[in-house]
Order: sequence, then C-alpha cells, then structure tokens
Amino acid sequence: MVTARFADFVERDARTRGTPLRFAYPPYPVMGMARDVLRRYIEGTDPITSQPLIREIIDGLTSPLSEKEKRSTPAPRKPRRPRLLPADTAENLYRQFVEDGWTDGLPIVLPTEERVAEMLMGTDHAPGEIVGRMCVQTHQERLEYTVEKVAAIAVMAGARPEHFPVILALAESQEPSLPSSTTSWGRMVVVNGPIRKEIDMNCGTAALSPFNLANSVIGRAWTLMSINFGDARAGENFMATFGHNLNYNNMCCGENEELSVFQPFHVQKGFRPDESVVSLFRGWNMLNFGLGSAKEMAHVISTFGSMGTSITFVVDPLVAKSLRAEGFKTKRDACKWIVENSHVPAGHYWEGQMQSGFARGLAQQGVEPFASWAKLPKDALITPRRSPDDVNVIVVGGETNPMWITTDFMHTRSVSVDKWRPKCGLRRDLKPLRMPAPLECKDGLCGIVEGAPAAAGKPSEERVTAD
Amino acid sequence: MEKNGKVTVLDPHGQPSGVFGRRLDAQSNPRAILDPVEQPSGELKPISMAARLSALDGKTVYLVETGFAGSFEFMQELQDWFAKKMPSVKTVIRHKRGTMFTDDPELWAEMKSNGADAAILGVGG
Repeated sequence: MVTARFADFVERDARTRGTPLRFAYPPYPVMGMARDVLRRYIEGTDPITSQPLIREIIDGLTSPLSEKEKRSTPAPRKPRRPRLLPADTAENLYRQFVEDGWTDGLPIVLPTEERVAEMLMGTDHAPGEIVGRMCVQTHQERLEYTVEKVAAIAVMAGARPEHFPVILALAESQEPSLPSSTTSWGRMVVVNGPIRKEIDMNCGTAALSPFNLANSVIGRAWTLMSINFGDARAGENFMATFGHNLNYNNMCCGENEELSVFQPFHVQKGFRPDESVVSLFRGWNMLNFGLGSAKEMAHVISTFGSMGTSITFVVDPLVAKSLRAEGFKTKRDACKWIVENSHVPAGHYWEGQMQSGFARGLAQQGVEPFASWAKLPKDALITPRRSPDDVNVIVVGGETNPMWITTDFMHTRSVSVDKWRPKCGLRRDLKPLRMPAPLECKDGLCGIVEGAPAAAGKPSEERVTAD
Repeated sequence: MEKNGKVTVLDPHGQPSGVFGRRLDAQSNPRAILDPVEQPSGELKPISMAARLSALDGKTVYLVETGFAGSFEFMQELQDWFAKKMPSVKTVIRHKRGTMFTDDPELWAEMKSNGADAAILGVGG
C-alpha cells in the first residue's frame, strides 16, 4: 500500500525494475491523520482507480495473476549516450542545456572539447577512467561517469583545473548532493588539509557566503554532477516537497584549521594532517545564530526538532577557544558533555510531531528506547541524542563574532583528494583567478586579542594532536 | 572548436550502467540508502509475483508496517476492519525492522515459519 501521491512513482519504479506488483492507494497523507480519518480512508475509495480501497486490498491478495503479471521482464536498457552533442551555436547549446534540465538554472560555461581538455590537465588520471556511479533515488539506475564527464561538469560549474582534484574526490564519493526525499535534504561539503590554502578556499570571514571562487564552484559542481550523473528530475525521481536552498552550493567551505584550537575534522576521521580531504554531511535544519557556552549548545539541541539523532555544529574559531577555556580538551570531550546534558521532558518529546512521528510506532511495537520513553511521566527527562559520535564540530569563520550554527547534519563520508592531484603539482593558471579575499585581522588591532573573554582559550599554536 | 559559428560540446549526462540501487544490509544505517559501498554491483534480476490465494477465509494475513509515520495507526485500523468485517481472517501487525527503506529478511523468514499466507506492506509515502 502506498499513498496516492506516490502512485506514479512506485508504478514507474516497478516497471523500470521489470517486476510487476499490485498496489492499493489510500489518500495522502497518512502521517498525522486522526483514527477516524484513517478509517474513512480504508472504507472509502482509492483516489487513483476510484474503486473501493478494501476491495482492492482483498483482490490484490486473491484475484489470479494475469498473464502479464506472471511474466517478469527486465526493462529495456537505455542506449549509451554519445560523447559529443551535435555541433550547434553556443546560444542554441546553452538553451539545450537549460531546457533539458542539465543545469541548476544559473548560467554555465559550455563544456567544449577545448575547455574539457584544459580541465583534464588538473589530474593525471585518464579521461576514460570510470570514477563511479550515482543516483538520487534509492531504487533508480545508477549512472556511470568517467574522469572526462566529471571534467565537463567542472567546466560547466566555472571551475579551473586547480579545483579539479577536489571535484573528482566529490565524484568519487558517489554520493549525490540531491538525495531524493520528500523531506528535502540539504548537504554540506567541508574541505580539510593543505589544498584549502593552495586553491585559496575561504575558511574564515564569510566562508559560507558567495565571496570565494573555489568555495562557489566546487559546491556547485557537486550539484551539477548530481543532476547529470544522478539524473535528478523534480517530481519524477526527486521528490523533495520544498527542495532545499543549500542544494545550490552545499555550504561548501574549508575548515579554519589555522585558527582552530582543536584537531581538524579529517584527522578525527583517521586521515593524516597533511592529507587533503573532502567531508560530506547531510541533514535538514539549520539554526544560524547560537551564542554561549557548551551549556547553551546542549540546551539548543535538546529543543532542536529533527527526525535524526545527529548534530553538526559549525562554530567560529572563537567558540572553539571558549570551549577549550571551559575545559574541553577535544571536540569529542565537548560533544560528549553536550549530549549528556541535552535533556527534554518526555511529554515535550512525544508532543513533537517531527521527532515522535516515526518513533511512536516503534514505541508501540516495543522497540527501545522509545518503548521505555513512552512509559515515562511527561515531566521525566530523556536524552534524545544518544551518542557523542553523532555530534560533530566544524570550525569555520573569521572571529568577528563568537557564534555557532546548529544543524542536524550527519557526517556521511570523507574522501581523500590526494589521489586525484597531478604528481607535478596542482595545475594553476599563470595568474590564478581569485575573488577579493576577506580582510582578516592579523595583528590584534581589530580588538580581538589574546586574553579577551571570548578568546580566552589556548592560542592556536598550541593545537592538540589527539582528539 | 568553433566552426561556421558552431561549437561542439560534451554530453554531460551519465551513462546507463544497468545497476540499480538496493540496500544490501538490512541492518545498515539509513544513510546507506545512497551509499555506493552498500549497493549491489551486478545487474538487476526481475523477480516474479507469488501465486495468489483463492480466498482469505481462515488465512493469516500479516500487516507489515514499513516505518513511515502513520503506518502503524493505519495498520491498526485495517486490522480492526478485518476483525469486524471478516473475522475469519487472522491478522498480525509487525513492524519491519530498520527503516522504511531497508529489507528485513529475518521478518520474511519468521512470517513463513509462522504460517503467514499473505502480507500487506505499507503505507508508503
């Protein structure tokens, strides 16, 4: 049984897989509906077929299989696509890219053979090497792509060859920036290691705003490859009801390792400090303005409604220093304390549709810890975030305000960039293309000085080596 | 290269692979939905539908709640409908382990060993 809103979706899926199935479609939505409404669904008609729903359910189990249903035949394979599109004017080709849904709606650089050949100089890997397969929806065919296809995407995004190794690492992840969910996922890309500085990514002031070429084109390239390699089509296989504005650039930034008092994120994940790494995150929600101590962070996540259990804080370096000053030697120490001190009354938890919508059924089935939580009095405190491993801290920003962003993002994967680097070094333009760099305080004259309350942690030179 | 005002560009779209997504590990984390490591590498093999029952009277029908919010309540109402309108049908509600996107081979095996005659899965979406 599938709600009527997704009738096309599941029938297309069954056809694609060559497996006939019988569906019955109650009205949409089911979530949050009162019992009498659900009862009327069952005793009413299927909106797709206009037939009585219960009759369809019974017939689905008892009417003999048709000849067509007895046969399961694989769907015909799609033909391989040509390497080149038919030659045309730039204007017509641009129109084709837009009208065929191969862009994000913003202007692109057309991937001519010459431009793609130049991009390919950004790596030693052969153009025909298969990098991976991608899809945006669980059961969809995973489309395959080569180094050359990724180069075409990089050109479209406006990248230069120096950016190409990072974009190839994103492609190697085989994760789409547009995973299809009706709940509208957002994503985040964080780059660690030496390549951040080699390509002048912004890790400091306004790192999450559109003021840096590398941040912009790398984040955009991920979405363009998700559209073209993941074959994302809105309403057909990409079902996000709102979509997510982060999908344009995926919060692409570098971690501010230079100003952080904590171990860089990639080292926490087992990579060497001198290794360049892209780390990917996925979630729904952001609170863009948090201030205060670990106690305040614990308070915020205790009331932060989310279906998941993960939290990723994006913190200004001043916050990292404050956490250090509070006595947390590592990011994990801070995360453990925050998790253990984020409580919510059981009554509040169960009243929240978003958190409890999925948990209520589990509780009724006896699944722990939800079953125990359901038995608690309303004012009993529970700890919804259960493990410090579900909580991440990324240090980003320019020390203009000791603020933190709260997200419900989970870390999904980290991929090394270094295998994609040319052995002779990054392919730089004679005059590298750069947007104006943010003005950063380097001498303390801006008022941010060692010893000030907000920056009372240890200086960044004393970074810890274990986390 | 531009020739007569025309240019040639690369097709940016991915190539069909014949490989479709599917969760391999029933207990895998929800993030494995799109995790290439937990995806099959071989081509898709269609499977056939099971033969239907001649009638539901005296049969055991499992109502498998897939994990979407509201599914459990819907299945409870469906169970109630059978109890009142077709009392000869025995219904059993079970929650599919993992998430709505995961397979649950243990449950399918358990249903077979417990004499399930049919199953209704839902409610998707």
